[in-house]
Amino acid sequence: MAFIAAFVWCYILWLVLTAGSNGMLWSAEELIAGVIFSAIVAYATRNIIGEKAGRFLNPVKWIEFTIYSIGPLFWGMVKANFDVAYRVITGKIKPGIVRIPVDLENDAQYTIMSNSITLTPGTLTIDACPEEKALYVHWINVTDPHPESSEPVAGPFEKWARRLGR
Amino acid sequence: MKSNDMGLIVKTMARTTIPLIGIFGVYIVSHGHLTPGGGFQGGATIAGAGVLLLLAFGLSEMRKRYNHKVYSVLESIGGLTFLGAAMLGFSVAFFYNTLWHNGPVLNGQPGTLLSAGYLPIMNLAVGLKVFAGLVSALAAIAAYRRWKE
Repeated sequence: MAFIAAFVWCYILWLVLTAGSNGMLWSAEELIAGVIFSAIVAYATRNIIGEKAGRFLNPVKWIEFTIYSIGPLFWGMVKANFDVAYRVITGKIKPGIVRIPVDLENDAQYTIMSNSITLTPGTLTIDACPEEKALYVHWINVTDPHPESSEPVAGPFEKWARRLGR
Repeated sequence: MKSNDMGLIVKTMARTTIPLIGIFGVYIVSHGHLTPGGGFQGGATIAGAGVLLLLAFGLSEMRKRYNHKVYSVLESIGGLTFLGAAMLGFSVAFFYNTLWHNGPVLNGQPGTLLSAGYLPIMNLAVGLKVFAGLVSALAAIAAYRRWKE
């Protein structure tokens, strides 16, 4: 299963890279070479990509990822950029490192959550501690030094991360 | 930190990006006769995936996955394949591109993948050699026993 996940992941990138070899589409030799090379790379990395990586082959999950990236994530980035621009102009900052308790189970959820927090300006994930179920976030304008949930820092990201990484 | 690996986020991102770096490097190598890049550049790119494995997962994980004999053999195979491709047209001259002039394969329309005679073979050979050589060199440096004797 991990081999198949790595293979599909590699083959998608190969198709993206070689698009246009036959008009707008792919020539047969590129497709066959892609199968061979993707199989080699997937065989080499099958133990690295993770045992449960096959769950990301679910097309429903791809649709959810697309919705997440053009919806909540993009909107959150736009809002946070304007907020940081405001703070750059006015100089009203109150920086600090906050511990955020999160209710996530696996590595993928922590990674999605942390990367979403880091992508939105003004907040930067410093460390993810799965054993104490918390993230340490450097925040440009601390309004709540001991938040009870991730809501004041990350908005709806925790809910999405829990769904996407499941 | 007790263990010598990086945190959870780096490790998870390394899991997803190592296959992508690998296939991108293979793309550079296999399209060396069509696009910028080639054996050395692609091989160094794939070796970058190996370095990412070493840095993200730490030396103990690298020890489990890295087998010196396998990499030594792979590097030798790369060099010998290069030499073999160079010897193919030995009836005319050393490095004579007989596959391109009258070979059965790799003599397609210029600009397609299966063209340019022995060049794709040589690119793959050099890529394999560079990848195996760089990864084993860096693994050997990382495994060097301690800072001071």
